[in-house]
Amino acid sequence: MSRKSFNTKTFADTIVNTFNRYKLQVAISVIFLVLWLIFFTMNPEGFSEPATYAAITSVAPFTIIPALSLTYVIISREIDLSFPSVMALGGWVLAVTWRALGPTPIGVILALLAGLIAGLLNGLLVTRCRIPSLIATIGTMFLWRGVVLVATEGFSIPLGKFRGTPIFQVLVGRIGGIPMQMVWAITIGILLWVFLNFHKFGAYIYYTGDNRDAARMLGINTGKVLTCVFMLHGVIAAFAGILVTLEMATFWPALGEIYLLKSIASVIVGGTPVTGGIGTVFGTFIGGLILELIETGILAVGVTGFWIRLVHGLVIIVALIAQVSIREREIKRMRTIMGIG
Amino acid sequence: MQCLKYIVETRNLVKRFGDVIALKGINFKVRNSEIVGLVGDNGAGKSTLVKIISGVYTPDEGEIYIKGQKFRRLTPQKAYELGIVLVHQERTLSENHTIWRNIFMGRELTGPFGFLRIRNMRNTATKLLKEIGLKAMSADTPVKYLSGGYKQGVQIARALCFEADLVILDEPTVQLSISEVQRVLEYVRELKKRGKSCIFISHNIYHVYPVADRFVLLDRGKIVAEFMKTDLTPEDLSHIMVSIARTGKIPVEYEKINLIHSSQE
Repeated sequence: MSRKSFNTKTFADTIVNTFNRYKLQVAISVIFLVLWLIFFTMNPEGFSEPATYAAITSVAPFTIIPALSLTYVIISREIDLSFPSVMALGGWVLAVTWRALGPTPIGVILALLAGLIAGLLNGLLVTRCRIPSLIATIGTMFLWRGVVLVATEGFSIPLGKFRGTPIFQVLVGRIGGIPMQMVWAITIGILLWVFLNFHKFGAYIYYTGDNRDAARMLGINTGKVLTCVFMLHGVIAAFAGILVTLEMATFWPALGEIYLLKSIASVIVGGTPVTGGIGTVFGTFIGGLILELIETGILAVGVTGFWIRLVHGLVIIVALIAQVSIREREIKRMRTIMGIG
Repeated sequence: MQCLKYIVETRNLVKRFGDVIALKGINFKVRNSEIVGLVGDNGAGKSTLVKIISGVYTPDEGEIYIKGQKFRRLTPQKAYELGIVLVHQERTLSENHTIWRNIFMGRELTGPFGFLRIRNMRNTATKLLKEIGLKAMSADTPVKYLSGGYKQGVQIARALCFEADLVILDEPTVQLSISEVQRVLEYVRELKKRGKSCIFISHNIYHVYPVADRFVLLDRGKIVAEFMKTDLTPEDLSHIMVSIARTGKIPVEYEKINLIHSSQE
């Protein structure tokens, strides 16, 4: 998005306009900082330790990565509930391939391919069979989980012996103390942000969610756009599944289940409304960080883990209230500028 | 190739919705750089006709010729590629996005690997807004903050930008204030000045009359009359419309200027 706005005259104006345009992102960042400050004042030692941040950044990517591509799905006014199962599918394909062939990139490629196929199935169910995505992806959620359960008969697959191999290091190793999965999350975040804002595909995703009839009338193949979005989400979910499997050095059949609501909540907290048409990748990223900061923070300040859900709930509600009020003020402000009551 | 002087021609177009026959054999033509006022009561079939021309509905019978090319059916994409742009109250806008994004919606200017040429598009949009008299408007304004008349303006700017050959205005003046109606009529004159063809649908005769060259009167799925603007006054047109609504016929005194001869039917 361009930064200049209504008749920018001075530098100060530019700053004010930029602020107005990115208010939602500023708000979500403020919520993040406030929470961090609260945790910091409650446990200054703990939150000065690099280990605390290493803990957050080693688990946060598993919520954030699927949430990033889920942002695309929600902007296009669809939903995908099957991604936790696709994460498990990806992890299982990787585990099985590595058990047979050793730590090879082929395992990663096959796992991503499985994610692509799962995404394609979602896309076809929604665009060709015209099943609402909420229902269709409940179906595929059970389907892929079922596939994994049947194939593993409920047993885990240990992968501990591959720890330390180069490919393992690239995916979930540590680089100067920073977990590689966080590097992957940031990379994917930047790529998705670039495509959403500066590429034709991103523009089509926005229009498909904002006014699908208009998009279709103006020659945009919205079915193709949606299928691509579901496929992308499938691939990225499978990738997140790979990372979880390797970080834990075990594949287990229930993998991914805890990320369903956390990832959806990251998108929503990040300022992407379920009504589609608008939303940002940046917001989702910070949204995911907030949820993970709470999990680690609550434990670090010495309260029982039972508080985690409660604080999650409160923060989600506060974030939603903030978003609604920011949007409504913006409408009022613009109406005054445009001179319409 | 006698069709070439017509941008659009339909032959014996029939459209049924279940038992209802919405169009009963329509022969409708639009010449190059002509503004056709398509008038008629609610349910006369005006919207159905333009929806067939813009590819939204498929006809049950008949053919559509666009620039001499024959089609049995069109898709919205195909119609758009052929240079037909539909302007409808808020319908073809992506409300949450900026004016420049809306103007280029579906036909973005892209550079290498499909990346958007954002600066290029914003500058073109700003220039266009100036040309159609929206000087004060920033191309970065999200469309949802615009009033109805400006929204029509954005859609018309889009049509201008893509050298659309036929712009269909489906009730563009409904729910607009008086000054906004004037603004929309200004845009339509601008289209005419640039040699575009235009179909202007309205039930308000006083909105169509100032800009149209020719009037096509639809009644219950049939074209009952066609007049050149030079042959009649808005009062005449109004009188004819009322007569059609009451009796289904046009008054005899207007028969000699009617371009459709009832004997042919």
